[in-house]
Amino acid sequence: MDTQAKLQILSGAARYDASCASSGSKRAGPSCGTGNTSSSGICHSWADDGRCISLLKILLSNDCIYDCAYCVNRSTNLVERASFTAREVVDLTLEFYRRNYIEGLFLSSAVMQSPDNTMERMVRVAEALRTEEQFGGYIHLKIIPGCSSELVRKAGLYADRISVNIELPSQASLQRLAPQKTKNAIIEPMSLIGREITNSLVERKASRRAPRFAPAGQSTQMIIGASPETDFQILRLSQGLYKKMNLKRVYYSAYLPVTEDNRLPVLAAPPLLREHRLYQADWLLRFYGFSAEEILSDDAPHLDESFDPKTAWALRHPEFFPVEINRADYATLLRVPGIGVVSAKRIVAARRFSLITQEGLKKIGVVIKRAKYFIICSGRSYEKPDQSSTVIRQRLLLGEGSEAAVSALPKQLVLPGLFTS
Amino acid sequence: MMNRYLYDGTVDGLLSSIAWILEEEPDLEKVTLSKREDTLFEEGFTIATDVTLAESLFFRFKQHAPDAAHTLYSCMLAEKEGMETSLLHYVSLAFRHGDKVKGHLTHPAVCDIVNVAKKAGRELHRMKGLLRFEKLQDGAYLAKMEPDNNIIHPLAYHFSRRLRAQHWFLYDVKRRTAARWNNGSLQFGTIEQFTTPAMSEDEKKVQALWQAFFKTIAIPDRKNPRLQKSNMPMKYWKYLVEKQGE
Repeated sequence: MDTQAKLQILSGAARYDASCASSGSKRAGPSCGTGNTSSSGICHSWADDGRCISLLKILLSNDCIYDCAYCVNRSTNLVERASFTAREVVDLTLEFYRRNYIEGLFLSSAVMQSPDNTMERMVRVAEALRTEEQFGGYIHLKIIPGCSSELVRKAGLYADRISVNIELPSQASLQRLAPQKTKNAIIEPMSLIGREITNSLVERKASRRAPRFAPAGQSTQMIIGASPETDFQILRLSQGLYKKMNLKRVYYSAYLPVTEDNRLPVLAAPPLLREHRLYQADWLLRFYGFSAEEILSDDAPHLDESFDPKTAWALRHPEFFPVEINRADYATLLRVPGIGVVSAKRIVAARRFSLITQEGLKKIGVVIKRAKYFIICSGRSYEKPDQSSTVIRQRLLLGEGSEAAVSALPKQLVLPGLFTS
Repeated sequence: MMNRYLYDGTVDGLLSSIAWILEEEPDLEKVTLSKREDTLFEEGFTIATDVTLAESLFFRFKQHAPDAAHTLYSCMLAEKEGMETSLLHYVSLAFRHGDKVKGHLTHPAVCDIVNVAKKAGRELHRMKGLLRFEKLQDGAYLAKMEPDNNIIHPLAYHFSRRLRAQHWFLYDVKRRTAARWNNGSLQFGTIEQFTTPAMSEDEKKVQALWQAFFKTIAIPDRKNPRLQKSNMPMKYWKYLVEKQGE
């Protein structure tokens, strides 16, 4: 089989991995070699599904001994199988990198003979790139659950980011759909990686020559909608991963049926809106100071389809509003729908110079359409005070003057074109 | 009564005029600065270009407000006409407030400058990803582009840190400017007559591999051409290997 045919099979098999981030690592790169990394990350193209391409995302092999129900590469699925040699991956990466197609390599793999055997082959690719080819670009390695901790450590020394996929949000689902993977085989390398990253940061403070361990941190991914967990369970799991394991990112991927299996649900369409809402909630956890318990509860365990989670929170908490733009602190501003991290920072900076007027607030970039129900600007409100949340709800959904005309609310909003990794 | 000042249209001319006005004019609200067009009825006082004055202004500015100086630099990359008066106010405010001036977004001049700079900065970041090199017969690499902003300098610097072991060229087709990196040195120049050199033999093969990868990496059930275009505007497709023939 020639390289092109292999590439088609093995990139097609890798496309369900959501992560393509190339950020969080800053390396000058070897002076005689090729490549460096940029801390902001760089996207090199956008695929037909609108997702960014920054890394050469491929599997080393799709020849799997496991039979996970949701996976396109499961051993009982009749797809064409292929495996790259280490040399092929190294050459592809370098040829693409020299032409500025990519920021680096994202290597994952099906489990070939055993987890150790597979992981060893993957690590060898990274090792060849770093030591033989003096490659300084970004490398993301997937950890195969069940491989030895020695291999995990080695992977972390060559890669910028390493990740272990949690796959499904609970142990029960894992047991049902991916019986060959165990919770321990997933959690153990995750906590090992967490510890190694912390250690390496401490050591690097003491000596600049201490080796880096996965400088861009670790991430994970889970499938949404293939198993019965609620959004609340999922968010609490993510919260735990961020807090206890120091993860950089949790990726959610809407379940797409790729194989037939009676253990899997039949969905009319992939739950893309649910995935989108989970990402929004995830952002609230990481950048907006919310906790999972504030966003959802046991009584209301699913995210609102009509409203983003922050607006939904604001509608449930009228006592928190209105917020005075000129006096509220940063953390309070962040809780206003329509004000993001950037505009909250800008508001705080602009207040040093003068009072912010309604006109000024627009220039700063606040989404007035959404924010106006929740703010006061230099004592002036945009809307009549004391509107009930039912009225605000309707106006936010359907626009001004809608309260008279419409009775039925649409069940699903159109997905906004906002999906950056 | 407004005082109208003119300068010769060069960057040095602009900076020295700003330095001169800041020194001589007590009230900036009564001042405008623009490029001299040499029309018959043009009114205004032309300020002579003084390279030393320009350099000393930019040096002091960088010392005083490094972030604001970076914004000023990005704004200049945009080559946008009619920004001079706003630049004047921006520089004056930056000398008063230092880097904090960037937060003064409710001031119209600051808002103007920051927005133009942001656009140029965004395109620079985009081109760091979207630029495509082709391997030539002699082993060197060539990338052509037509950016809106004049970003060849910072872009070439970026690649000089990244593709150090290669011999490469950047060519801005619209402005006919070029950058060259070879053996650790970076040079800039203009090219009046550009002829496309012959490609290396394996170039088409590598391009075909990339095109194949680009096609298969998208998830068919999630096709979203609108999102693709908003992230990667069609004006950049001309030189994208993966978008040829579309």
